[in-house]
Amino acid sequence: MNHPGELISAYLDGELSRPEIAQLLAHLDGCGRCAAELQEVQTVRSAVRSLPLLEMPAGLIPEADADVVPLHRNKGFLVGAAAAVVALVIAIAALVTPAAGTVSLEELNSRYGARASLDPAFGPAKVVVPDLAELLE
Amino acid sequence: MPESIPLTWEEVARVYGRKIYNFAYRLTGNSDDAADLVQEVLLRVRKGLASYQPGSFEGWLWRITRNAFLDDVRRHNRRPTAPLPEEVDRWDLASSPAADIEYSRISIGDDVQKALLELPFEFREAVVLCDIVGLSYEEIARAVAVPVGTVRSRIHRGRKLLRESLT
Repeated sequence: MNHPGELISAYLDGELSRPEIAQLLAHLDGCGRCAAELQEVQTVRSAVRSLPLLEMPAGLIPEADADVVPLHRNKGFLVGAAAAVVALVIAIAALVTPAAGTVSLEELNSRYGARASLDPAFGPAKVVVPDLAELLE
Repeated sequence: MPESIPLTWEEVARVYGRKIYNFAYRLTGNSDDAADLVQEVLLRVRKGLASYQPGSFEGWLWRITRNAFLDDVRRHNRRPTAPLPEEVDRWDLASSPAADIEYSRISIGDDVQKALLELPFEFREAVVLCDIVGLSYEEIARAVAVPVGTVRSRIHRGRKLLRESLT
């Protein structure tokens, strides 16, 4: 029997003419070997086609990213400034939020209040808040 | 597949860059080689667009891509590791400069990718152009400069070899 092996892949790829399809299907009806080959080739074809479409390395072709609007320098500055403000807020929150192993202000006061009243050089603790405008310059 | 020519090479880069990268990656299993090829192809497209004659843009582009790939293989003088099986016709061997060229580097563990890299170049190229790039047999025939019947044969034999390799 003449097995139309190569028609199998072309059939799966939609590359056969109507007469060729009819010829193949008629053959497959009576040929277990070719029917099995169809299954195998179909499995392999699906496996290759399911390989992920990889992304190009970033910046390889800037032209390929044309639809991604680049950040203008001023916008970049704003983003940086916003990030600085967020970082500052987090830092301050960390200072004032009690956490395990830290000492509350009340406790601090009761511990050092007497000394503070006797020692004029022992002033209240100061939290230095940096000038936001200076930070962002 | 679009048959009209993109307006600029930037548009070619945007539309086809990723496909070219994937073509090269699946052929070599190496991201550096794939990245180099994308840049080389776009350079050639940039030079060639001015003299491009309207026709099959896909065929033109993939012929450039294939030639750039083979030039790179020759430049690095890579040694063949997987010769073509004996049943491949002599006409194919005489017509193709890539018949005895193979990549030997395997850089990822993926079974399918590994099996692809073990295929003789012509079969691997046909399978990748069909299943990864998504070209029709006619477009592959134009890109590779062989008859459609040869494309059909290479794709089927390539898949059968993949099957053997994966089982």
